[in-house]
Amino acid sequence: MIKSEQRQAIEELVYRSCLALDARDYKAFLALCDEEFRYTIATYSPEIRREMVWLDHDRKGMETLFTNLPRHNSDHSPITRHATVYTVDEKGGSAEVVSALQVFRTQLDGGATELFAVGRFHDTVKLDGASARLKKRLVRLETRLLGYGYHIPF
Amino acid sequence: MAKTAAQWEAKPKFPETHYVDSRVYTDAAIFEEEKEKLFRPSWIIACHESEMAAPYDYRLFNHPSGVPLIVIRGDDGKVRSFYNICPHRGNTILYDPAGNAKRLTCIFHQWSFDSRGNCVDISRAEQGYQERFCKEDAAMREVRCEVGYGGFVWVNLADDAPGLREFIGGAMDILEPYMQQPMEVFHYHKARVRTNFKLWHDTNSEFYHDFLHYFNRITGMMQPGYFDRKYTGFPNGHATVGSMQIQYDKYDGSKERAVGWPGLARGGWYMVDVFPGMTYNLRTSVLRIDTAIPLGPNEVIIEFRGLGLKADTEEERRQRVFDHNMIWGPFGRNLHEDLLGVHGQGRAMRAGTDSRWVLQGREENSTIHDEIGMRHYYAEWSKRMGRPAHHPA
Repeated sequence: MIKSEQRQAIEELVYRSCLALDARDYKAFLALCDEEFRYTIATYSPEIRREMVWLDHDRKGMETLFTNLPRHNSDHSPITRHATVYTVDEKGGSAEVVSALQVFRTQLDGGATELFAVGRFHDTVKLDGASARLKKRLVRLETRLLGYGYHIPF
Repeated sequence: MAKTAAQWEAKPKFPETHYVDSRVYTDAAIFEEEKEKLFRPSWIIACHESEMAAPYDYRLFNHPSGVPLIVIRGDDGKVRSFYNICPHRGNTILYDPAGNAKRLTCIFHQWSFDSRGNCVDISRAEQGYQERFCKEDAAMREVRCEVGYGGFVWVNLADDAPGLREFIGGAMDILEPYMQQPMEVFHYHKARVRTNFKLWHDTNSEFYHDFLHYFNRITGMMQPGYFDRKYTGFPNGHATVGSMQIQYDKYDGSKERAVGWPGLARGGWYMVDVFPGMTYNLRTSVLRIDTAIPLGPNEVIIEFRGLGLKADTEEERRQRVFDHNMIWGPFGRNLHEDLLGVHGQGRAMRAGTDSRWVLQGREENSTIHDEIGMRHYYAEWSKRMGRPAHHPA
């Protein structure tokens, strides 16, 4: 059974991960992640009736990705991740956490905000007393039409 | 010195074959004409055979001319295509983008069709139609359909158009040796962009935008021979680009490439642009296929497919998916840059922006920074549309 302070730490971890990526503070995001961290974006295509992986990196891969991102031409519109922690299930020394995810994109010119994507975080969180670190994040997207796209993972 | 209005309007100092009037990208009447003259009589990729492996498997496809199609593998294994329109009251027959259906039944009045397009049931037919109309009068409209060039399912709305082989001619000769093994689609997604479909095909028809991908391509551009690859034009507006070996290991994050492609030199890269809006792109370990489906003069859906080999082991497939995603995935380095490029063109060329000319004037002995790929496309465009792309109105 997850203690209330652990649940609080887990929720804060999920929300801090959103804030860090919203701010493009990759260092702060990686500081929330375990050395064994793995990040995956996956979705199901009803068109080809297959599960698809759209991004899959270990921690080193994420570090490289974050280092390379500023070197590319990218859309500069900020995105805002809105997560709500739904369920937390303890499993050994870790917790399986499912959160709803909505991503909004705000146009730089005029500031119009549009819903960009919806999906869920399926996180594995490593627990150590009251502290919590991301060991695995699977972003399962429902949205597959992303317009001209985005470089920064959700 | 910056230009005055008159100078901005003046024709570019190039031969007329070396620029186009930007109205070819924005004019609604031209777009309607393109649907009839470019798309209806051309062979268009609807899907891949691996998307419909079993009898009665089907895929829906919105043809660029606007016609909704069903592509279905029949009880005899043959792939056929029909309008996804009920001949009764014009309703949609199938809704899900893919599935398996022994009977194609319109939910509206339960008229039902088999996988060969025959009407097999009209509800309360005798009571309503007596002897005046029967199942034989209610068949689906079949569309010409062929499977080829890597197992892709091609459709053509014109009953009298030349066959697929004649349409493609020799344009696929460069790729056919690498498409001998059965392939399988592992990636599919769409991008909806406010731009003209030809601008996406233009981007696939010139490498001068290497500079858009500067961080990715700088290592390639510094390799001897990079600029020597040549465009070759083929009849019907198709064009190819020859290969070179890209030293991906020079790009940080792309060092572990454990899987290649049968017969293709490691790091090899071939492209075939198929008129009027499809591209084969075979690069190191993945075949990518783009299909442009225009929605209007300034809006397009681009379908992206990534393919590996049916015989892939789990690890080989994982590596191909990784390679694909690194460059061409929805979060990949190149794709977002390319889409941003044509999105920007769409913004700048909207009605009222006073865009005027689009230059295609680079000549570099038909090598990859030569803009001959686009000029070749617009020569065919001009032929089919009955007027030059530099003066389309």
